[in-house]
Amino acid sequence: MRRTFAQSLALYATVIFTLLMILFPVYWLLVTALSTTDELYRLPPTFWPADPQWDIFARVWAAKPILMWLWNSMLAAVGSVALSMLVSVSAGYALSRYSMRGGATMGLFVLTAKMLPATLLVIPLFSIFSSFGLIGSLWTLVLAHSTMIIPFATWMLKGYFDTIPKELEQAAMVDGCSPIGAMVRVVLPIATPGLAATALYAFVLSWADYAYARTFLVNSPDNWTANLGITTMQGEYVTYWNDISAASVFIALPIIAIYLFLERYLVGGLTAGAEK
Amino acid sequence: MANISIRNVSKSYGALNVLRPFSLEIEHGEFVVLVGPSGCGKSTMLKILAGLEPATEGQIFIGDREVTDLAPGDRDIAMVFQNYALYPHLTVRQNIGFGLKMRGTDKTEIDRRVDDAARILEVTPYLDRKPKDLSGGQRQRVALGRAIVRQPQAFLMDEPLSNLDAKLRVHMRAEIGALHKRIGVTTVYVTHDQVEAMTMADRVVIMQGGLIQQIAAPDELFNNPANLFVAGFIGSPGMNFLNAELRDGQLTAFGQQISLPRATTHQGPVVVGLRPEHLTLGEGPVTFSVRPTLVESLGSEKYVYFEAEGARIADGEDGKSKGLIARVSHSGTLPRNEEIRLGFDPALLYLFDFKTGERL
Repeated sequence: MRRTFAQSLALYATVIFTLLMILFPVYWLLVTALSTTDELYRLPPTFWPADPQWDIFARVWAAKPILMWLWNSMLAAVGSVALSMLVSVSAGYALSRYSMRGGATMGLFVLTAKMLPATLLVIPLFSIFSSFGLIGSLWTLVLAHSTMIIPFATWMLKGYFDTIPKELEQAAMVDGCSPIGAMVRVVLPIATPGLAATALYAFVLSWADYAYARTFLVNSPDNWTANLGITTMQGEYVTYWNDISAASVFIALPIIAIYLFLERYLVGGLTAGAEK
Repeated sequence: MANISIRNVSKSYGALNVLRPFSLEIEHGEFVVLVGPSGCGKSTMLKILAGLEPATEGQIFIGDREVTDLAPGDRDIAMVFQNYALYPHLTVRQNIGFGLKMRGTDKTEIDRRVDDAARILEVTPYLDRKPKDLSGGQRQRVALGRAIVRQPQAFLMDEPLSNLDAKLRVHMRAEIGALHKRIGVTTVYVTHDQVEAMTMADRVVIMQGGLIQQIAAPDELFNNPANLFVAGFIGSPGMNFLNAELRDGQLTAFGQQISLPRATTHQGPVVVGLRPEHLTLGEGPVTFSVRPTLVESLGSEKYVYFEAEGARIADGEDGKSKGLIARVSHSGTLPRNEEIRLGFDPALLYLFDFKTGERL
């Protein structure tokens, strides 16, 4: 069906509006980073700095241990993704494929953990971690982020596995696979888009965390993550928003890179052709 | 190739018996069709045979080997699924070769056998495509290719044609038949379609409610149904049934006394079965008058629907029965609601026990 002019107009207007909504904060971050301190407080605000301070990135990079913060964030995020994917894939697959007594109830119970606010879990987690002597270690973040990620990821993956016909595993088993073999050789490759989406969700959730990092790592500067590090750039009397914005740009870059890497797997329709 | 022996296999989920003790001896190279309405246990039996579901009780032998507790992959069988179950992330070549690869077959040997299977099923041009780029019929062939390439002891097929359109189904039915003749592998085929059962099988196993109703060759099933269910299930349109009274070899039906040519000692109520094609237009050994409620024309044939006292809906039908049916050769027009004469030969009647439904 051909679109009418009015429909096209509405479509493009919606797309442009949505793009603006999403991109404006990014643009403003960049403007803030590139502006001089005086220009930042000027009213009305300028939409592009008169004298862009491109050297701010080099200055901030030299002044703050940004690479170390990024590295710590990366370790925590990769660890969280690895641990939570291991658990969620197994749990989601089991919930999807095996009917067990109380399985559905158990599945729902897992989800209630997601409904609790993260701040509520900080206190019990803190006391558990301190009794194991983990406070200050990045392992606290891997474990704490996993408690947030696993419930939701399990359900995302269960939903994805539900869309994969179970005859595919049966066929694989008749072809000589063990049940685990059928999952690894047939189900997981087909579930790649679901796995990629879940991993991306897990990565972003861990990367964006501040509350847990602040609580568990505040006294161990060597293990500060990027988000925690940035907040320490806020001064008691003066805050250099342009420095903070420049550091924020550095922190956003890895997420963009990860997204670009995973994007190719985020295509749907991989099961097309399995059935009639 | 091997014979298959199923001995007293049953399956229940708690108190629910989906399969009553099932025993069947399948000869080496035989083509056996399990047929019945949905929920009759035929697919469950096939899954148990494949090892995809455990039997509650009983034993299964393929060849001389007991396979009851073996994993599906260790039974040396191949299965074709209703929805084909092709691996969507693999090419046709990889799909067909998957089972050989899992068994550690040598790469060049896999290629040789995949090429052979592809040639037999005429899918050679598509070997490098993914399943999503194939038509329904081509996918069906790839699924068959995956089965034949392993040269297994037996093929198990679970309604493999039910997703195809009518024309292709007839075509593939013939192809599967030809394939079976060519490679002669023992085959167990599950379907709900009596036409597939009748046209493809060496022997048909008719099931209902988890129970075997009759095991026989197709013609035997048609000519000598063991009970009401089989009589009603096989044949299109299905057999007509009437409740009637039998006294001293005289049957009261169609408003008259009919002398039965066969001697029977049975007395009391019976169910009479009469195939629609055994009714003829005009006079016969027994003749009666009806007013058709509906006449369907198939050109040279007419399906004449009419009502008669004691008409009985066959088991398993949905109750939307339009009465009895006569399938008559007639190329003219037959007006509805105008009286016509129908005749039949009482030797062609089937009699069933009123209570048990067993053939008398």
